Order: sequence, then C-alpha cells, then structure tokens
Amino acid sequence: MNSKENCRNELRTAVLQLSDRCLYSASKWAAEQLVGIEHDPAKFTPSNTRFQRGSSSIRRRFRTNELTSTPVTGVSYVSTPVMEEDEAVNGDFYLLAKSYFHCREYRRAGHVLREQTGKKSDFLRCYALYLAGEKRKEEEMIELEGPLGKSYAVNRELVSLERELSALHKNGMLDSFGLYLYGLVLKEKGNENLARTVLVNSVNSYPWNWSAWLELQALCSTIDILNSLTLNNHWMKEFFLASAYQELRMHNESLAKYEHLQGIFGFSNYIQAQIAKVQYSLREFEQVEVIFEELLRIDPFRVEDMDVYSNVLYTKECFSALSYLAHRVILTDKYRPETCCIIGNYYSLKGQHEKSVMYFKRALKLNKNYLSAWTLMGHEYVEMKNIPAAVDAYRRAVDISPRDYRAWYGLGQTYEMMAMPFYALHYFRKSVFLQPNDSRLWIAMAQCYEAEQLHMVEEAIKCYGRAANCNDREAIALHKLAKLHKELGRSDEAAFYYKKDLERMEAEDREGPNMVEALMFLAQHYKARNRFEESEVYCTRLLDYTGPERETAKSLLRGMRMDRSGFPSMDVEHLPP
Amino acid sequence: MAGILRAPSAFAVTPHKVSTCILIQIYAPPAQISVPFPFSSVTQHNRLGLYLLALTKSCDDIFEPKLAELLNQLREIGGLMDQWLTNHLTNRLSALQSPDDLFNFFSEMRGILGGLDSGVVEDDQIILDPNSNLGLFLRRCILAFNLLSFEGVCHLLTNIGIYCNECFSTCPTYELQHLDDPSNEVEVLSEYENMDLENYISEKITEEIEAGITSKGVSFHLYLPKALSTLVEGADIEASTNPKLEHSNKVGEHSLYTPSSSNALRNVDPRGGVFLRSNWQMQGYFMERAEAIEKHGSSFSSSAFELILRQLQKLAPELDRVHFLRYLNSLYHDDYFAALENLHCYFDYSAGTEGFDFLSPTPGTNSFGRYEIALLCLGMMHFHFGHPKQALEVFTEAVRVSQQQSNDSCLAYTLAAICNLLSEIGISSTTGMLGSSYSPMISVGTSLSVQQQLFVLLKGSLKRAESLKLKQLVAANHLAVAKFDLTHVQRPLISFGPKASMKLKTCPINVCKELRSCSRLVSAFSSEGSGLTMEGAFCTAWLKNLQKPIGSLVLSEDHGSGNNANPSQFCTQPSSIHGSLLQLVGSSYLLRATAWEMYGSAPLAQVHALVYATCFADTSSSLDATLVHVKLIQHLAIFKGYKEAFAALKIAEEKFLCISKSRILILKLQLLHERALHRGHLKLAQQVCDQLGVLASSITGVDMDLKTEASLRHARTFLAAKQFSQATAVAHSLFCMCYKFNLQVENASVLLLLAEIHMKSGNAVLGLPYALASLSFCQSFNLDLLKASATLILAELLLSLGTTHRKGALTLIHGVFPMILGHGGLELCARAYIAEAKCHLSDPSFSVSENSEVVLDPLKQASEDLQALEYHELAAEAFYLMAFVFDKLGHLEEREEAAAQFKKHIMVLENPQAVEDPLFNL
Repeated sequence: MNSKENCRNELRTAVLQLSDRCLYSASKWAAEQLVGIEHDPAKFTPSNTRFQRGSSSIRRRFRTNELTSTPVTGVSYVSTPVMEEDEAVNGDFYLLAKSYFHCREYRRAGHVLREQTGKKSDFLRCYALYLAGEKRKEEEMIELEGPLGKSYAVNRELVSLERELSALHKNGMLDSFGLYLYGLVLKEKGNENLARTVLVNSVNSYPWNWSAWLELQALCSTIDILNSLTLNNHWMKEFFLASAYQELRMHNESLAKYEHLQGIFGFSNYIQAQIAKVQYSLREFEQVEVIFEELLRIDPFRVEDMDVYSNVLYTKECFSALSYLAHRVILTDKYRPETCCIIGNYYSLKGQHEKSVMYFKRALKLNKNYLSAWTLMGHEYVEMKNIPAAVDAYRRAVDISPRDYRAWYGLGQTYEMMAMPFYALHYFRKSVFLQPNDSRLWIAMAQCYEAEQLHMVEEAIKCYGRAANCNDREAIALHKLAKLHKELGRSDEAAFYYKKDLERMEAEDREGPNMVEALMFLAQHYKARNRFEESEVYCTRLLDYTGPERETAKSLLRGMRMDRSGFPSMDVEHLPP
Repeated sequence: MAGILRAPSAFAVTPHKVSTCILIQIYAPPAQISVPFPFSSVTQHNRLGLYLLALTKSCDDIFEPKLAELLNQLREIGGLMDQWLTNHLTNRLSALQSPDDLFNFFSEMRGILGGLDSGVVEDDQIILDPNSNLGLFLRRCILAFNLLSFEGVCHLLTNIGIYCNECFSTCPTYELQHLDDPSNEVEVLSEYENMDLENYISEKITEEIEAGITSKGVSFHLYLPKALSTLVEGADIEASTNPKLEHSNKVGEHSLYTPSSSNALRNVDPRGGVFLRSNWQMQGYFMERAEAIEKHGSSFSSSAFELILRQLQKLAPELDRVHFLRYLNSLYHDDYFAALENLHCYFDYSAGTEGFDFLSPTPGTNSFGRYEIALLCLGMMHFHFGHPKQALEVFTEAVRVSQQQSNDSCLAYTLAAICNLLSEIGISSTTGMLGSSYSPMISVGTSLSVQQQLFVLLKGSLKRAESLKLKQLVAANHLAVAKFDLTHVQRPLISFGPKASMKLKTCPINVCKELRSCSRLVSAFSSEGSGLTMEGAFCTAWLKNLQKPIGSLVLSEDHGSGNNANPSQFCTQPSSIHGSLLQLVGSSYLLRATAWEMYGSAPLAQVHALVYATCFADTSSSLDATLVHVKLIQHLAIFKGYKEAFAALKIAEEKFLCISKSRILILKLQLLHERALHRGHLKLAQQVCDQLGVLASSITGVDMDLKTEASLRHARTFLAAKQFSQATAVAHSLFCMCYKFNLQVENASVLLLLAEIHMKSGNAVLGLPYALASLSFCQSFNLDLLKASATLILAELLLSLGTTHRKGALTLIHGVFPMILGHGGLELCARAYIAEAKCHLSDPSFSVSENSEVVLDPLKQASEDLQALEYHELAAEAFYLMAFVFDKLGHLEEREEAAAQFKKHIMVLENPQAVEDPLFNL
C-alpha cells in the first residue's frame, strides 16, 4: 500500500539519519517500527516474516476492527524526510568523533569537534557534552551519597550548553536535532514552557525522532497542556498521542489509537507491548498474558516492559511462569532495572520479602526514578511490618510522580494498618481523585470510614455506592451496602442491595455465607412486609443449605403457613360479636 | 526515620570549612605564647576567637559564606592585621593545588590540637582543647576529611578552586579596602575584655553541644549559638563604620520581612561554590525561621521564603525539616491545601521521629515511627483553619494512637490541644466523637455537657502533664484552667433533693491560684538552666500553631529565643529566659488583665495589659500582641473617649497590617457600634452590628463569644431606637441561648440589659426583678463592676417608681459610688452623677439654692464626660438638669448657656447623619 510504502521509506531514511547523529534509542525505535510495518504477504518469502508470524495471530484474537488497516484519509502528513546534509568538508573529524562516541568517550568526541562548524557537528558536539555531563552526574551521585538517597548532583554542562544553544537558536542555526537537544537542556534546567515550544518545533520539522516526542510527552502533565500543543499532522503524532494518553491514564483513548496504528504497523512489537500495558491498566490480565507470551516467543531476548508481564504473573500467582521469566531475563541482562524488578516480584510471591526488597533496591540503584519499584518495595516493607520504611518508599514514588495512585493507595493502606483511619483518608482521597473508576480504591476508603474508630457510616455508604457503580469485581460493595443499610435499619434499601447482590452471585455462580445471609434477610424482610409469596421463595431456597439458617427458614415457613391458615379464624375472633 | 533508605547526611568538608581551619590555625598556632605572632593584643586575639566561634555556629543563613564575604568580615575583625590575615588566608587556599596538598594540610591541622596526654602545660601557652568548641569543630573536619574517598578529595579540590576563583573574579577591589583604620574598635571591645568570653562561652556551649553531638546525630534544638552569633556580630557592627554591614545590625527585625533576600537571588550555581552550612546550623536556621513565621504571621513574606525552601530542598533533600517549614509557611498564609500536603509529606518522610531530640534510639521504639505526632499536628492545623469537627476527629485518633504506642507525652499534649479546641472554638456536641475512645477520662465525658467535659479534660491533662514533668505543658495547663475558672460557674456538688441549695458561684481564688502556679514556673526554669533543652519530649516548633488568642495556651517550647533583635539584652541577662517561657508568662499577664476586666477593676486590668505590652512585646506572638492592643484601646475608649481610641486603633491597624485581621476588625466594629449608638446613628449601628454577627461561624455552639456579643449589641440597637418589644425579644432569645450553653456569666449582663429595656420603656416595675436577678448573679460571680452598674440601674428604676423611693435610690447610689468612680468608665460615672442629681432634685425637701454644688458639680462632671463620649442623649439630659438648676438659682446667663448646649445636643441627635464618618470604610 502506498502509505505503508511511504512510512517504510520515511523510516528507513530516518533510521540512517538518527544513527548518524548517534541518537541510538530513537533510531532503535524507528527501526523497530520499520520492521513492524505489515508486509504485503504476496511479495515476501516466509523467511522475511519469520519474526512476525505470531503477531498476526494475536491480531486475529484481539483485533476487533479489521477495517483500520487503511490509514485515515484526509489527513495531511508532512512529506518524507529530506535532510540537507551539511557537507563533509570536515567529514573525517566527524567520523572520528562518532567513533569515540560509539566507544562512549564523550568528552573526546566533543573535543574532536571543537572547531568544526555545521549543524551536524554542532549537534554531535553538544550532545556528546551533554552525555558527558550526564555520565559525570551519575558518577557523582554515587560518590556524593548513597545511591538510594536523593542527590543533588547536577549535570554541570547544562549551563554552558544552554548558553550556546540559545545563542544558536536565536540565530536560527539549530536544525531539528539541535532543537531537540535544546529542548532537553531547557527541560533539565526547569524551563518547561520554553522547552515545550522548542520541542514542538523540533518534532514538527522532523517527526521521526521518537526521543523528542518522549521528552515532549514528559512535559505534558495534564490533558490541557497536551491539547494546547500545535502539532503538525503526521502519523508519528498518533504514536505520540497514544503514548501520552496512556501516561495520562486515558486508557481507552490510548487503546483506540494503538489499535488504529496497528493498521500499518501490524507487526510492531512496540505497539503490542504498549497495548499490553494499557490492558494491564484496564486490568484485563488474560489478554496481557497472551500478548506477552506471544511477544516473548517472537522476541525472546526482550527485557523491556517485561516487568508488567511479571506483575500479571504475580497477580495470577503463576509461580513457575514467573520463575521461568526471571531466569530468562537474568540470563539476557542481569543489570536491568526490569530484571531486578521481576526477580523482586518472584521473591515477593514466594513470601521472601527481605530478598525481594534487596532486588527492588538493586532496581532502584539502577534507575532511581523507577516508579513501580518504589511502590512495590513499599508493599514489601508493609509485608515486613517495617512501616516507616514503607511509608518512605511510597512517598518517594509519589514525589517522583504525584499521579501514581498506587503509591497514594499504599500510603493510605499503611496508615490504615496503623489504626489511623482518619489520617489514611487523606491518602485514599488522593488516590481516588486520580483513579475515580477503580472500585478497590473506593472500597478501601469506605472501609476506612467504616472502621470502628471512625464509624462514619453515611460516608462509608457513599463510598461503597461509588464502588458498586464502577464494576466492583470482588462484589464487596453490594454486600457491604446491604449490610450497612441493614444496620441503620433502612430495610428497604438493604433489601434492594441484597437482592442485587443475590442476582450477581447467581449470575457469577457463587455460593457462600453471603448468599445465605442475603436469602435470610430477604426472607425475613418480605415476611415483615407481608409479602409472603416472595418470602416463601427465599425460604425454600434456604432449605438447600445446612446450618442454623435452614432451621430458621423452616420455622419461618411454618409460621407463614400458620398465619395464612389462621388468618380467617383470627379475623372472626376479632369481630365484635 | 526511613533511615533504612537514607544515608545520614554527614558533616562534609567544604572550602569554607577549610578556610575556617586555616583561621583556627592562626588563632591557635601550635606551641606559642599567649599572644601569637600577628596579634598585637589579647583583645585582638580574643576577638578572632569569638569570630570563629560565631562562624561555626551562626545560623542566620542557609549557605556558607563565600570567600569574598569571609574576607570582608575578616577585614572588620582584623583591625590592624587585617591585611596579613586576608593575605595569609588566600595564600594558603591557593596553595592547595593537588590532592596531596590537602592531605598535608589536614595532617598539619592535627598538630594544632593539644593532645589530651600532653603532660605539662605552660601557663601562657595556647592550646586548643580538643573538647572545646573550636577543637571539636577541627576534629570533625579532620575526621570528615579522613573519611573521604579519593573522589571526594577531588571534589573538595575542585570546589576550593571554584571558591577562590569566584572571589577573585567577583571582587577585584578587595585590595583597596583594607586601609580603613577602625581604631575605635578597641574601646568597644574593651568591655568584653574582662569577661573572659572564651571561657564563659565555651563552658556554656560545650555542655549543650556535647549533649547534642555526642548523642548520635544532630540535635534539633540549638538555640544558644544564634544568640551567640548575634552577640559577636552585634559587637562587631557597632564598631564598624562600614555601611555595608550595617543592615545586619537588626538581624531579627529586618531579615524577617525580607527573609535573606540575598539567598533568594543567589541562584544555585551548578558549578558548585554554594554549600549548605553544617546540618547543625541548618537546624538552628529552621528553628529561627519557624519562630519568625509563627511570630509574624502572614506579614512574613510567603513567596520569598518558599523560594528559599524550594532551593534548599533541591540542595539537601535529606533535610525533612524543610517540608515542615513549608507547612508552617503555608499555614500562616492560609493556604489550606499546601499546608495539608506539606504536613503529610513531612511526616511521611520523618515518621515523626525528628521531633524528639532525646528520644532514646532504642530499636524497639523506632520501629513504628511516631505517627501520633503527625495526628496531633494535623489536628492543630484543622484547628487553625477553623475546622473544629475534623480537628476533634483527628485528636481522637491521636489520643488512641498515643495510647496504643504508649506515648504519654504526646497524649498529654493532645489532651491539652483538645482542651484548647473546646475552650477556644467550642463545639456543639462532642458525644459520639470522643465517646469511641478508650481513654477513661474521655469516656466519662460522654454523658456530660461540653463544659463539664472540658473541665474533666483540663483536670486530667494537668495531672498527666504534672506526672510526666512536662513543665511548660503544666504551665500552659494552669493557664487554661485559670481561663476556664474565670467563667466557670460552680455548683455545689451535692445538689440533689428539693432542699439542696442551688447556689452558683465563680471562684476568683482558683483563678488566682492557677495563675500563680503558672508564673512560679519561671523560677523553676531559671534554676534548672540548661535542663530546659531536655524538657518535654517534643519541644518543637510545630506545636506553635497551637496557640490562639486569649491567654494563648502556648505549648510551644521554641528555642532560639526571641530577643535576638537586641544583643545587649543577652548580655544583661546571662540566664536568658526562654522565648517560649516568656510567652507563657506573658500570656498569664494577659489573662490577669482579662480577669480584672471581668471582676471589674479597670486600672488593674490596664496595668497588667501595660506590663505585658512593655515587657513581653518582643516575645509575644502576633495574636497575643493584637490582643493586648485591643485591650488597651478598649480601655482608652471607655476612659478617654472615642477620639483617642480611634487614633490608637489607626496605629494598631498599621502595625498589624494584615495579621489576625479579625481581632482588630472586631474591635473596630465594636468601637464603631458604640459610638454610633452614642451619637444616635442608628442605621449605622445596625449595619455595624450585622457585620459583627457575620464574623461568627454559622455552626451552632461555635464562636459563642462573638455570637453573644453580636446579639447583645443588636438588642442595644433596638433599645436605642426605642423599639422595645424587639429589643426584649432579642434579649430573651439571647438569654435562652446563654442558658442553653451554660454561659451564666454572660447572663448577668443580659439580665441587666432586660432591666434597662423595661426601665426605658416605662415599665419600671417589670424591670425590677431583672435588675435584682442580675444583681444576685453579679454577686455570686464576683462581677463587681457589673454589680455596680446593676445597682445603678436598680436605683434608677426605684427613682422612676416615684419620689417615695428616692431615699433608697440615693443610698444605693452612694453605696456604689466608690466602685464606679474608681473603676467605672466615663459613661457609667456620668450616669451615676446624673442619677444622683436627679435624686436630689426630686427631693421636695432639697433646696437648690442652699446646696447648689451638690447637684451642679456632679452634673458638670457628667456633662464633660458625656461630651467626650459624644453621648448626645445623656448629655442633653445633663444640660437640661443644669439649666433647670441654674434657673432655680436665678443664674440666667448660665441657664441660657446650658440651654443652648442642650439644644445643640438635641439637634445633633435628631440629625444624626450631619457628621460623615471617615472611619467607616470597611
């Protein structure tokens, strides 16, 4: 297809250009997408599609709309990248610098290019300096303080880089890569607004630099900011939006975008992984598992995003699968934060919390801002009853991203554990605000209100009500609602919720004490309301169970029959003679 | 805590510390006689020592000074040898070129320290005692250097390079300045010469510091150093002629309003060169800031300070206290959400452990953290923002958690806080909130009224504080009890059965006792000396927000006492009394003033208020300060008339620009209302009265004082408008409300008002029982002045019953004259005079021509007083009577004059809007 061919050509050029500028991760990403474009099956031999066989089967299983294989029409895209390469008068120095860069000798690379002019050399020189500063910063972080402590090490190149780049920017001497770097520097310096403008300029003039998009995304902390960006229409924008929506937890919008993109990039592992992550946020664990299994089959040495997979396995308590995954990733790359996180998850599942904490700590050593590791470590500390440490870990997570509802929830739970329900409410409120559609959060908050120390039943009922409205899987809310209403003596409401709960249990085919309780209450309630027929139905159902309820039901039934049979005679008795 | 995760921030070697070490070496060169080489006199030598001490201890800034600043200061210190000093310093610094130089430097430093074992010490020899203050500092520097890794040494070296370069590039003129000849410095210093300051100070400090440093980690409360630093700096600056340093003379006052603006502007240079002071100094800085925020309330510039804090957080994320300061800052700027956020953040990070500085670091107690303190603080925050219900909820939780964790002192503080809440804001019903608690003393309270519950709580809290030996809390509790007793009406314990006497009474003796036992603490403290730091399990700044007006139950034990503005004060008071203690004592004076106000001695009340204003002004919180101003202005209004009162109010308004606006606002409304009533501007009076009513919270049972006052004034307005039935209705409902909420004392004045209403409406007979009831209330509640005024009303009532009661009325009036003239305000005196004159005039046997002075004198006096008050109605009456008397005497001219005055007042009264009020601009 034409547009597929276009994309392919664009990406091919972009990969070359990006790797020429040593923007590795962007070029890696571009190359992945390049391979991810669905091929015309007629033209290619099976060997070419070897890596892609499975993905189509995933698609068959989960793609609902096959129509999306054609791109949206009527959208004007900017054309293929035609970068005027500034010419290689000093090409040799550039080559040398690049080689140094490859060998991670950044300062040397910068030094080689010190007297070179031209946008490309300028970019590489500045970029090398920036990376040198980053590297030094990382080292200093370790030197100055323990790696887990927050550290104030800064990239010491930033100031001079900003000065130089802003001068170049003013003179219009920055190409889109230079703009990207300038934006990066500005962002590090905390000048977010300017950084945003510069990055928008960069991606508008050269959309294939995924790193620039990522930086831009990090600057879009709210949907309003995202909507205020003026971005040219390009298919890369779709990737950006999908990712940004995901970050802003607009999961359904994000999913729609990804599914749409799959029309072109049918075999993109990246998209698959992202879809899996979105599904994970939507708690569709089955699908996530299938996708990851498939991904691992195609790309067995993948470590990226595998921590999400391990979370799923953890939730499903798949011991062996989790250990297999851990084994696999540790052989692939031991020193990746994801790897450590997976192992931490495994130990946590095994109940060996000390070891688990050790691995989470290692993950954090590798990446201080690894959000989920902080949260997970908090969970482990909770298990170990080390409350201050747990609180501290959660708080770190929250400080890294104030939108992390899990950490807020963890904080709330911790305080609740300490019998400080009122204090915990603050945290639950926060988490509920961020994730208003999660029934678990509402239930947790309701339990706080319900706690014997607070006993604010009205508020608890409100929270349970919210929980019941957002698809409460464990079906706690309905039962609780019924119970609380019963306690408050509002038997009509209680009956309403018991009935609903009953229906639900029937639909899900669950049995248990809740069922008996509901039946018992309904039987008694209808009897008190003189609706004997309904009451009898419930009583009869109760007869199926053993225990004291059965006897009560029997006596109820007997009573009702007596009543009904005795009714006329009593009537007569009461008539005045 | 979470120290599990965080490396404890250590004492780091910085370029500034290296310079200090160099200076110490100059100060105490090894093996030299008493006045080492560069120094020309002992004075000079001592002076450098003092300066070094100050340098290591001062906490007026967060950053270590740059080299340029240091050199400037040295120039001030150095006197004749300044050039040698600065040159030596810069030379030594620039000689440090390689890591090896640093190693050599620090091993050389070790030589300065006199060994503990170095047997014979010659008399004159200077030896730096390793346990002295400077010795400790040096040892810590050496230790820190020895702990450095090679990377660390490299960092230090680069930083020293930057430190030097910065100085030489930014101040090229430094060579030019040092030829000033501040020869006058010698005189100034001579007074210190004899004091042997080094000894005195080091003795004093080392005990303190030792306690802090040696007991692992950095102690929280370091107050002495700052006083010390200001002492030294103050001394320097007095001598200096350099205007550049002049500004720091008023360290306290100035920097408060523009908190170290230089810091705010000084950007964090990523190239380094900016270093935080030692952790210990930082904590001192925090204490000082916290105190400043608390004292100056919202006049403290919020954003500038926030900027510093944010910077600080970036530089030293491990300093949790920053979050607390951010909390305080937002609290006093009424930013609820920021305050809430920062409070939670602070306690999440510190787990409440930071507050205890002598909390035994036993592993058992630490495992949980001290989250109950978080609850206590959260409760006080809600209290501050006026959410009594939430506050109570949180306090209940705090009580529970404290009990679970058996944190007795926290429990004691929490109980005190609950008392404070109940007595300050009041609450409609506590049942069901405190009821669920396990506390025996609280659960007793469930069946009791709020008042009784408060009483039980107060007693319990006091007992608890006493048993825990939390002295300041005890004092604060005594104050609270005194305040409670002030309006508390006691019933006899056995009051069952039909014949039981239902006599109610208040107990001034109790109040007095409590106040005394509060003040007695001062002596307890001064005899204890440094034990104070150890006092109280968490004597921290965050308790400050507990205080609220009236007798502010200051629970805070803030360190770094407030007399920093005046260094001489420190010198004169070697046993510098603690700021918080002074606050407590001050509050007791305020409470005394309030008590005398109630019991009816205006002069005594004024004296106490004046004592407070003069002696405790610099330590008082802004709330207390406004309160005392309010009291004094009220006094002015009653005794001197409105003109002066409004002039004073204007000053007060300027002084407390936006701080606790409500209190000043209430006063303004009160004054406006009274004046409007007197002048007869009834519309305005109504308007003001409504505004006053709106200020109170709408929740039942909350802000009762204000509500009572508003409806009392409402009734008065109706009375002035001669709408008697409405006035009666309002007064009646007020009476019912007061009865419901057990405000017996207030009821005395309500009854009096009812009597007055009936008198004015011409139903003297109806008024009599009210007046008598009020009289008996006053008697049993010891409200002497109110009693006098009730007697006066009674006399007036009798008088209006007919001339037959004239005699009785006159006796009554004469009976209360001493009280009224001695303690009553202008209005009361005038009314008494007029009533007396009326009595005489209504006596048929009284001959005006014979005893004209008997009537004329009081009338003249009354008319003067009333003119000052602009009370036109009564003034007209006085002039009418005067004219009447003059007429009888046949003094026509004077009669005409009095009549003219009468006419004038009547005219003004009837055209009230003639004078436009410039002050009514709300």
